[in-house]
Amino acid sequence: MDNNHETTATKPEGLEQDELIIQQHREIEKEISDSILLIGQKEELTSLETEYINDPVYLTKIQDLNKKYKCMRRARPDGNCFFRSFAFAYFEYLMDHNEEYKHFKERALKSKDELISCGFTQFTLEDFHDTFMEVVNLIGEGQHEKLYDTFNMQGYSDYVVVYLRLITSGQLQKDAEFYKHFIEGDRTVVEFCHQEVEPMFKESDHIHIIALSTALNVGVRVRYMDRGESSEAIAHDFPEGSPVCVHLLYRPGHYDILYSR
Amino acid sequence: MAGSALRRLMAEYKQLTLNPPEGIIAGPTTEENYFEWEALITGPEGTCFEGGVFPAKLIFPSDYPLSPPKMSFTCDMFHPNIYSDGRVCISILHAPGDDPMGYESSNERWSPVQSVEKILLSVISMLAEPNDESGANVDAAKMWREDREGFNKVAETLVRKTLGIPTSK
Repeated sequence: MDNNHETTATKPEGLEQDELIIQQHREIEKEISDSILLIGQKEELTSLETEYINDPVYLTKIQDLNKKYKCMRRARPDGNCFFRSFAFAYFEYLMDHNEEYKHFKERALKSKDELISCGFTQFTLEDFHDTFMEVVNLIGEGQHEKLYDTFNMQGYSDYVVVYLRLITSGQLQKDAEFYKHFIEGDRTVVEFCHQEVEPMFKESDHIHIIALSTALNVGVRVRYMDRGESSEAIAHDFPEGSPVCVHLLYRPGHYDILYSR
Repeated sequence: MAGSALRRLMAEYKQLTLNPPEGIIAGPTTEENYFEWEALITGPEGTCFEGGVFPAKLIFPSDYPLSPPKMSFTCDMFHPNIYSDGRVCISILHAPGDDPMGYESSNERWSPVQSVEKILLSVISMLAEPNDESGANVDAAKMWREDREGFNKVAETLVRKTLGIPTSK
């Protein structure tokens, strides 16, 4: 960071360099968004094998996953993949669990006032809440195809992501005393929320998953596919011990959806 | 998507009209295009910009408020955090990650729950307290650091210019 200051302070051209870097990031992002759907169709887990053809560690883990899960869906790797995968997988689950759907809908309706009392401004929150509820209401119609299409419409899909980010932020702030111990760097919980949770495209960590799954009381199982020695992709459940209704696959830096057998 | 951006911008305009923050007037340039706004910012009291009324424009992206607007002053400005062409360079106009400038990590960043009002309030604080490390205008940053009296004089000239008062001398 110090270096950065020096170059910007001594050479005005450095500024243009900075803008070029931002522009290049944008172009890479655009390339990704043009080629990968926000939420993909179901596919066999064996489709992962082609990505790790020379990698025995990953191949062993894929084989193990293949025994436990019947298929997967990919999410676009845009930094929102955890929130988007979570939302789609959970909404799909709710389509087949009517009682839980009713409870969730009530909870979602109430969440707006809770967030306002947590300090969010009503008029900035409202659009995200309304769009979120529109998609929640879709669950009641029970049409899987329609839900899938909606999640691939950027406007709806991104607003659902924003709202889940706000719920996550609200939960972190509500229970700041607890969460402050898990925050890296010299920042308060509120600063962490402003920098790592509320802005779009910021990647999620354990703390995001714990806060969101706790806030909505939804059990999430994440299968970690990494270079660890175990022959299986280790599972972590959030919050610990709750019945699992959302299954996600984690590969370094990215989340996708899993469907158990 | 542009539909939600428009709805949000209309809500923000209404909010700013009903409860205008002190020293700020802002709204769409024309009723036909809500994606381009004009703002008038009053120089904060007790600073070298006091008394000036500085015009600026804001350009909103079609995915606003997921992405932040761009803001530039349309009058002459001399300030460490304003480029010579008027563009404003402060952390709230950038999402975290978009920061080759190396803003301090504790600064406000753009997120969908920020607003035009918060941006303009940040700009007022920026006028009052320049960050001489961001270096959008290196000459201004240097003068602010090393020749405060000279800086204040330049600011005074700018203030007079915005008010249409002939500068002394």
